[in-house]
Parts: sequence; C-alpha cells; structure tokens
Amino acid sequence: MNQWLDERLHISRLNDKFLRKAFPVHHSFFLGEITLFSLIVLILTGILLALAYEPSNSLVVNSFDPGTADKPNLIPAAYHSALKINAMPFGDMLRRIHHWSANIMVAASVIHMMRIYFTGAFKKPRELNWWIGMMLMIFAALTAVTGYILPYDNYAYQTLGVVYAITKSVPWVGNWLAPAAFAGQFPGDGVIPRIYGYHIMLLPMILVALTGAHMLIMIKQKHTQPRYAKRLAYKKIVGVPLMTQQTPIMLLLTLLFVGIILMISAFIPVHPVEYFGPPSSTPISNIKPDWYLLWVFGALAIIPPFGFSVLGGTITAEFVGAMVFPAIPIGLMFLVPLLDRTKENQYYAENPTDHPVRLAAGVAFLTFMLALSLAGYKPDLIAAGLLTTGNANTVLWIITIASPVLLYFATIGIVRGIRALREADERESQAFAPADD
Amino acid sequence: MTRYKKEDPEITRRKFVNTALGASAAVGGLSLISTLGAANPVFRLTPAKAPPMEGDIIVHADPQKFGQPVRPDELSDKMIRAWPQGKDENGAPVVRNGDPTSILAVLRFPKGQIIEPTNLKATVDGEIVVYGDRCTHAGCNVDDGEGDILNCPCHSGQYDPKRGCKVVGGPPNHPLPQLPIKLENNQLVVTGFFLSVPYGYNTEAEWEDYIKKVEAALS
Repeated sequence: MNQWLDERLHISRLNDKFLRKAFPVHHSFFLGEITLFSLIVLILTGILLALAYEPSNSLVVNSFDPGTADKPNLIPAAYHSALKINAMPFGDMLRRIHHWSANIMVAASVIHMMRIYFTGAFKKPRELNWWIGMMLMIFAALTAVTGYILPYDNYAYQTLGVVYAITKSVPWVGNWLAPAAFAGQFPGDGVIPRIYGYHIMLLPMILVALTGAHMLIMIKQKHTQPRYAKRLAYKKIVGVPLMTQQTPIMLLLTLLFVGIILMISAFIPVHPVEYFGPPSSTPISNIKPDWYLLWVFGALAIIPPFGFSVLGGTITAEFVGAMVFPAIPIGLMFLVPLLDRTKENQYYAENPTDHPVRLAAGVAFLTFMLALSLAGYKPDLIAAGLLTTGNANTVLWIITIASPVLLYFATIGIVRGIRALREADERESQAFAPADD
Repeated sequence: MTRYKKEDPEITRRKFVNTALGASAAVGGLSLISTLGAANPVFRLTPAKAPPMEGDIIVHADPQKFGQPVRPDELSDKMIRAWPQGKDENGAPVVRNGDPTSILAVLRFPKGQIIEPTNLKATVDGEIVVYGDRCTHAGCNVDDGEGDILNCPCHSGQYDPKRGCKVVGGPPNHPLPQLPIKLENNQLVVTGFFLSVPYGYNTEAEWEDYIKKVEAALS
C-alpha cells in the first residue's frame, strides 16, 4: 500500500522532508510539545462542549427550577445550557478538562518562552518564530477570556462588563468599537452569539494557523541544538527522527500529560456556575482574572485616578492601565530579537550564565510581572491587615519597581560568583593535567 | 555599455498595469472595511433602557422582591439595590433594567451625617440618598465596604456615600452619580436625571447630549 500511495502522492518526499526531522533529546525541548498537546485536547473537548452549548442570551425558563406559571424563573439560555452540561454524563468533567488544559497550555507556553529566551534560541534566524510565538500567546489569552464569558453566569457577566469597559476606554474610537465588538451596548442582545463566534471560530482559527506557521518554520530552520550536540558532532544536526523514534516519545508524553490533566480534573472542580447564579447586579467579592492576566488587573488596581483630553479624545486611567501600560512589557518582548546584533546564524543553545545581562534582565522582567500580579491581590492584602488603604498603592509601587532592580543586580552577582568558580575549576584541572603525562 | 542612457518619458506598459492592478486591489480591499459597520447594531432607546428620570418610582432589584417599591423603613446604612420603574408608551409600569447603568444604591443614614458635597436638596430630609451603583472606573457594581464606605470589588475603588460618594481610594476618576429623589405616598420618587456623570460617559457634555436624546426620544 505504501508503494500505491507513493506512486500517486509521492509520500516518500513528505517522509524525507518532514517525517525525518531530527528532534533534539532534552527535557526542556518538550515544553512546546506540551503546549501543542494542550491545544489538541482543548479543540477536542471544545467540540464536545460546543455540541451541548446553546449560544444565546435570550431568556428561557429554568428547567431545573421553573418557578410558577405566572412568575416563571427566567435565565439566559447560555447559562441554562451550562447548567445542563453540568447535569449531563461527564459534562462537568469535560468543562474541567477544557479549563485545566487551557491553564496548562498558557503555563507551558510561558515556560517554553523562558527556555527560548534564556538559551538565546530567539537569535537569527529564528526571530520570526519568536514573534509568531508572541502572537500565539496574545491570542491564547484572548481565547481564554472569551471562553470565560460563555457560561454567562454572574461572574462571566461581571467580567464581560469590565472587558466591555476596557474596549470602550480606547480614546476616539472606543464608543464605536465596544458596541461593534460586543453586539450593542452592554449587555447587547446578541452578545453571547458574538462571543461564541469569537471563541469557537475566529480565535481558534487564528491559533491553529499560527501554530502551523510556528511548526513549519521550526522544521525549516531546525531546532537550536542543545550543547551536548556541539561536543558530539560539531555543526551537525543531532537528534532522533520524528518517524519513528520521536513518535513513541511524543505518544508517551501525550498519554502521560492527558493522564495528569484527567487526574487534576477529577479532583479539582472549576468555576461553579450554580454558585454564581445567573447574571445580576450583585457584585462578586474577590473577582479576579486568570493568573496570566493578573498582572494587568494589578496594574489597573494601583494606577492612580486621572483623565485628560487630547484632540477630542479622553485618555482615562483605565485605558492607560489596561492597554498602554501592558503594551510596554509586551512591546519589550517583541523587541527581544532585535536587541541581538550578531550577523551569524545561531546553532547551539547558550549557557545562560555566559550572558549575565540577558539572564538578569529576564529575571528582572519576570519579577516585575510577579510584583504586578501581587498588586492584583491588593484588596486581599488590605483585608488581611498587611496593608492599609492609605499605604497600599505606595507599598505596591515600591515593590513593583524595587524588586526587579534588586533581583537584576543579585542575578549579576550570583552569575559572577558562578563564573569565578568555573574559572577556578578550569585553572585547577589545567594545573593537574601535566601530572597525567 | 553606453555612457548615456536614453530616458523614456512615458511609463512602461508593465509598470502601468501593475500600478493599476495594485491600486484597484487596495481600494477594493479597503472598501471591505465598511462591512465591519454591520457588526455594530443600531441602538434603540426603549423605556426599559432609558436612564432613571423624573417621575420614576424606585423598586427593589433583589429577585425575591423584584418590582416592589422600596419603603423608607426598610432602609439602613447597608445599601439596597434598586431599579427605577417608569411607564411605557401605554402607561403600563416598566422596570428600567435594560441598561446596567440604571442600577441604584439606596442608603439611609441618621440625620446630620450626610454632608457636603452631597446635594442635600436631592435627598429625603438629608437622610435617604440614592446613587448610581456602577463604579465610574470599569462599570462593576459597587458593594458595601468596611464601615460606611462603598467598595468596588473589581479594582478596589472606594466611595464615601455620606460625602456625595466622592472617591476616597482606588482608581475611579469621578464620584458615583447622585440621583435626586423625594418621598411621595411612602414611595421614593425620582425628580430628575443623575446629577453628575454616570459610568460610561467621559465628560459632562457627552452625558448631557445623551439626556437630550432621551428626552427627544420619549417625548
């Protein structure tokens, strides 16, 4: 059959080109794969959930608690279908798997990106893939936010209100943009069909297309080689081919990964829609975004109030906090490949301690994001008595600015120590080398 | 080979065709942007979506007592969430809960505690005061906080309801808007529009434009 197919489709060319791609064997090279597996799990569970979900925010009678004939208990159809999904066999489990895979996908991609950054794998010729990876992260976050809104419980409703407000705060165009993006003034009659379209159609298509480009470019350019490859066979590609050696490794990893997700999902429930109830005007105390957007939330919480007009548009603290301010770290990340000026192609992963400034800058950047995420816990810190309303902003700003600076210099100091030890080690081994003769 | 190149004053056929094709593709592509306009539905002002206005009665928003008028003896320094209830074209009562900005917080404090910059003329005897309950920062519903402070759970905006709901902490830029009321037949009756800018309007001018539109649409 192979020959039959080959004569018609030239399978052997595909084999030579893609299926023999060499994969370096090192655990840090599996992070991207885990991201990919989570995307696949997300698409599969997403399809099953979409089959049972009703994308509409028109009011229907709650079949679990219909009320009386003259006073029926009306809830949005989307929320009703979320309740029904929870009631169907394995329905709640599907929601849990979908939720935890999404979290793991973002987590794995963050660590994957850290590996790329710290080992210098973003350098020429792989700048394009760094930028595509950045786009993947941004669109993954957008997909997650729209997914949060779909159950349309009170939590989702309040979140949607904030998302709408952020869109509306864009100067000049916000008043047009927000109703256009969310089907009318909040809460628009068609808001759930709109978000549903984004979440199951537009954004996944972008994600899949970008993922495809990401992997094709990776196959074309080949992985950066881990450092052991330099010792084994200099300037040669070292690794196991996709077909067949890498495939069982990937399959094992997939099964292990899916097993772990199933275990997490079996024990840890997610977002109890029944508890939050249908959309209402009752606020939810302790409302927080997912952990990977907590830094934006923190920035919004500690930016002082202001507002001024420029050329007829109003710039508000909300616009600055949710759009301008987060654009700074994201913009810096986009600029990373441009900061490197070498003309040669990068073949081998670098030892982070050989590039102390890059290492320290990366550590400082992560600390900055963590400090902003801490600021997202401002109300909790005040409630716990650790901070007061008066000093919370000042203290959190000091932590946000000072801790990255401190960790920057601490990292440089530690790296200097490590390198001194390594050099001493080399001197010593050289000193003892003649004794072997 | 030749030292002097003869410059052809006219453009070549290839260049002309390419430019023409490129220009028409660009114009055609740009014109597709207009289809995005279809994404933005027309806003129709219905009585349910109108803001609280003169003559409205303040009714409970709580699902248990939804639509029942708020009585002065139910009130305390813990807020009661309420909607304005107006009338539709046929004079039938309609709860104006179509616009989340119309949600109200009704509070009552012992006489003398409510002070400037609250508009005391717009309260009932300086005791009962009504504010819009959407945080002017990101539009979340504001809740009771510690003491008599109102607290927004989203980004910890804080307001002092005894001093005109001015901002006492967090990121909001404006106070919560006060709604003028009077007491009539043991019911709270609205006597006008919000006295300051509610959530969703950046400037006084924007809010006044909207009020004019509402008055034109419902008169």
